[in-house]
Amino acid sequence: MFKVLGERGLPVARLLTPRGGPALQAVRGRKSRTDPPAKSKEGRIKVPPPVDPVEMVVLGERYTEYGLIMRALRLEFKEEVLRKKYEQETGSVAEERARQDTEEHRSLMAWNDAENRRMLRIRQLRVHNETEEAELKKQVAILQREQQMQELIKEKEKEILQLQEEAKNFITLENLDQRIEEALDNPKNYNFAIDKEGRIVKQTVLK
Amino acid sequence: MVHLSSFLLKKYHKGHMVIRLALAGHKQANRPFYRIVAAYNKRARDSKYIEQLGSYDPLPNIYNEKLVSFNFDRIKYWMGCGAHPSKPVEKLLGLAGFFPLHPMTITEAERQRALTEQSHTSAAGDSLEEGHKQQEV
Repeated sequence: MFKVLGERGLPVARLLTPRGGPALQAVRGRKSRTDPPAKSKEGRIKVPPPVDPVEMVVLGERYTEYGLIMRALRLEFKEEVLRKKYEQETGSVAEERARQDTEEHRSLMAWNDAENRRMLRIRQLRVHNETEEAELKKQVAILQREQQMQELIKEKEKEILQLQEEAKNFITLENLDQRIEEALDNPKNYNFAIDKEGRIVKQTVLK
Repeated sequence: MVHLSSFLLKKYHKGHMVIRLALAGHKQANRPFYRIVAAYNKRARDSKYIEQLGSYDPLPNIYNEKLVSFNFDRIKYWMGCGAHPSKPVEKLLGLAGFFPLHPMTITEAERQRALTEQSHTSAAGDSLEEGHKQQEV
């Protein structure tokens, strides 16, 4: 029944099998639930391991003692947990901690307000400067535009003057006959000759 | 994530808390290593646990010692919250001295001692018989 002990001591399987009945189902193996038992196991009667009555009695006593001690231990642990929780919530340490927390909160809020005020001042300065700059720029832009308008007007006037001067030489219905006669009287010769060295010769054969 | 209150949690898990051994690193064959773990009873042995409370290495090291570790503070907390330790954990803690010695440890030791004494006496009796036979002869 018991394996011979080697160096290792109790084999691992012993430690893991729960005492008090077969709680583990056979997971490994080739047979399923519906397979019949083997022929070699035909007349087998399964017999539980033999129990020594003396040992059983002694074991029972040991178990009751063990149960007593375990119950006492459990109650002790429970009490300790409850006491810790109580101290956590309503102990002296908790009060001090709460007070420190409120103080810290107050100081942080004060610091936050100071920061906000400082940022407000900086922001106001910045906004003021920016508006001033924008106004300056606007003024400059207006001036520039006026200047441009002035220049445009001047140019237009110049053009008008030029046109007026040219208008004196225009051909109108009254000048028409006069101009035709003038043109016919003075034939203009636009022909000229030029050689590769750039000498111009205006003398040609008139038609 | 749905956060349930403790009452609803109890109804959801439908089991109590246990402190038991869970196999760690089960991708390696023939090299077991256990974690002592607080988990719900109905969970699989190796699946999600609530807190790890220690470890146990069943194979002895080069100095022929098996190493176990416990976080006694947290074990006390979970026992106080109503966790039941499993048999191997109870035995380990008994051997460590935190719990009283488990009755089965004592009975196993006694059985083993009886066996060794029997084998010794039988061996001594055999050698004595051999000695007697030789003397007779």
